[in-house]
Amino acid sequence: MKTTFDTQTIELNPSGENYIAVVNGKTVNVHVIRAANGRMDLLVDGQRVTAHVSSDMAKRWVTINGQTLMLTKTSGAKQGVRHDHAGGLIAPMPGQIRSVSVGVGEAVKKGQTLLTMEAMKMEIRIQALRDGKVKSVFVAQGQTVEREQILIEVEE
Amino acid sequence: MFNKVLVANRGEIAIRIMRACRELGIRTVAVYSEADKNAQHVQFADEAILLGGAAPKESYLNVDALLRAARDSQADAIHPGYGFLSENASFAAAVESADLTFIGPSAASIRAMGDKAESKILMKQAGVPTVPGFEGLESYDEFKKAAHEIGYPVLVKAAAGGGGKGMRVVNAENELKEAIELAKREAINAFGDERLLIEKYLAEAHHVEIQVFGDKHGNLVHLFERECSVQRRHQKIIEESPSPLLTPELRARMGEAAVNAAKAVNYYNAGTVEFIFDPVLSSFYFLEMNTRLQVEHPVTELVTGLDLVHWQIRIANGEKFPFTQSDLHQHGHAIECRVYAEDPSTGFLPSTGKLLQFIQPQGPGIRVDSGFAAGDEVTHFYDPLLAKLIVHAGSREDAVHRMKNALNDFIVHGVVTNMDYMRAVLETDDFKQGRVTTRWVETKFAEWNVPQPDLNALIAAALADVVFVGGRTQSAVSKETDPFNPWKQTGNYRN
Repeated sequence: MKTTFDTQTIELNPSGENYIAVVNGKTVNVHVIRAANGRMDLLVDGQRVTAHVSSDMAKRWVTINGQTLMLTKTSGAKQGVRHDHAGGLIAPMPGQIRSVSVGVGEAVKKGQTLLTMEAMKMEIRIQALRDGKVKSVFVAQGQTVEREQILIEVEE
Repeated sequence: MFNKVLVANRGEIAIRIMRACRELGIRTVAVYSEADKNAQHVQFADEAILLGGAAPKESYLNVDALLRAARDSQADAIHPGYGFLSENASFAAAVESADLTFIGPSAASIRAMGDKAESKILMKQAGVPTVPGFEGLESYDEFKKAAHEIGYPVLVKAAAGGGGKGMRVVNAENELKEAIELAKREAINAFGDERLLIEKYLAEAHHVEIQVFGDKHGNLVHLFERECSVQRRHQKIIEESPSPLLTPELRARMGEAAVNAAKAVNYYNAGTVEFIFDPVLSSFYFLEMNTRLQVEHPVTELVTGLDLVHWQIRIANGEKFPFTQSDLHQHGHAIECRVYAEDPSTGFLPSTGKLLQFIQPQGPGIRVDSGFAAGDEVTHFYDPLLAKLIVHAGSREDAVHRMKNALNDFIVHGVVTNMDYMRAVLETDDFKQGRVTTRWVETKFAEWNVPQPDLNALIAAALADVVFVGGRTQSAVSKETDPFNPWKQTGNYRN
């Protein structure tokens, strides 16, 4: 069974009591000693590995030796594709719009603050990624926005 | 002693205070916002009262609702914690006029130290060294002139401020205007007061603060220092005591200056006098006094053996200190790491979501002050502090090792945390040598790349779908194939 996480693909197949994993042409033997309550104790080619793993939709949170990674399960086709909103600037996290400093049609410079939002008592400035003209503004002051919601669009 | 204390706060500090109340045989009242109805501090309390909406103004900053909650629950004292209303003199006064005890300093002390401009003048009069700067400026031109006179870089900060809110570093004149506007706006939001002051920004300085404590009978002592130089945008990340920089002579001088600062405002209860320390000149300047319990107070508790919250309550109740300055000593070394729901790879943007796993480290010399548990939601309404991890050991080196291991054992899934980042800080030579200044994070340790998943991480991620039924770890069933499981062994030995 093949699974792709972000840009890496792993093939994992049962083999008797164990599993055979193949990543980047490397093959290892995996023995599951115990797996319960979000924790798994493994022997990977005989080496002890303890991993804490949580799943949330396509996301997998993995902690091994204190290092936590968030992997996203993707189908092969979507691999490596990032959200490009064609000049649209998105909210990096949920919060509230504090101010909108530009209007539609206004010329803006790269790095110029277009609007500010507040989240967790912190002010976040949304700045123009390049020189251009404001095509549309999708939010107003005081509005609550969700993570990845498109706020403003700038065209060249 | 008080019969019942209302804790006007949330998260880890509310729980920490309620725990102290329980130990002293006092009943506890939690207050909460609509966003916090299932929060840990609500579960921990003997009773809990809803204040209002999620926005702090409607709940944790809502004085009327808090006083009503205290009256309805027949509490006889209010502990404000840190943040929110803890340094609001009008609140302290309102609590006292409602015939309740405010567990903290007098409203007059809070007022005197709360205004950064006026407190600076007071400190100059009391002979406490202060940073060169100006107060009471209004127009942009006045600020421009003052900044020019002081010399860039300068710091613009809220006169009513504290905790890094409404504070901006300005490196050159072309940044001044926006910095003033942003600082003003943050100042209005955080403190409802837009006045700013401007002072010299000491780039290569350390932040060293002294914990002071006074009873209501005129006794004032200091509980030594905390080094808090590992900061990002004026928010402390790692704190420790003792400071790796101070000599016993400097420590004594700073302690005395801090006690003098507190005396100048007739201080009682717990407070912290913050200093900027220049290690090259061995000189220190008064920065501000925080008239409340500090986030990093556990570090002081571990090295002095005193429970600061117990003493806050006992002093508010009128008790006298049974000790004097010469009875107090520092033992070993303590370090605190603030575990924030922040993503170091996106410039430390807060990370929100549901906590899928939240497993706290354990072991000798490890303390966790936490406000969350697995299943809890981390929302964008409040401070992103998840927990404080504090360790104590015989030496600084041992404490650093203990901290690294404790960070390794702290499992948080569902939100991104700064733990990997903090562990990397602890590994640097600068930290090991005690050379970290308040600008170090921004100038020397700003870049952060998320490590790529290695083979084992990919195996674990792929296996989760196979070994945890339904892919949901919380409802996972056990797959038991351990050949060494003692319950399956039938041998005739025991150990």
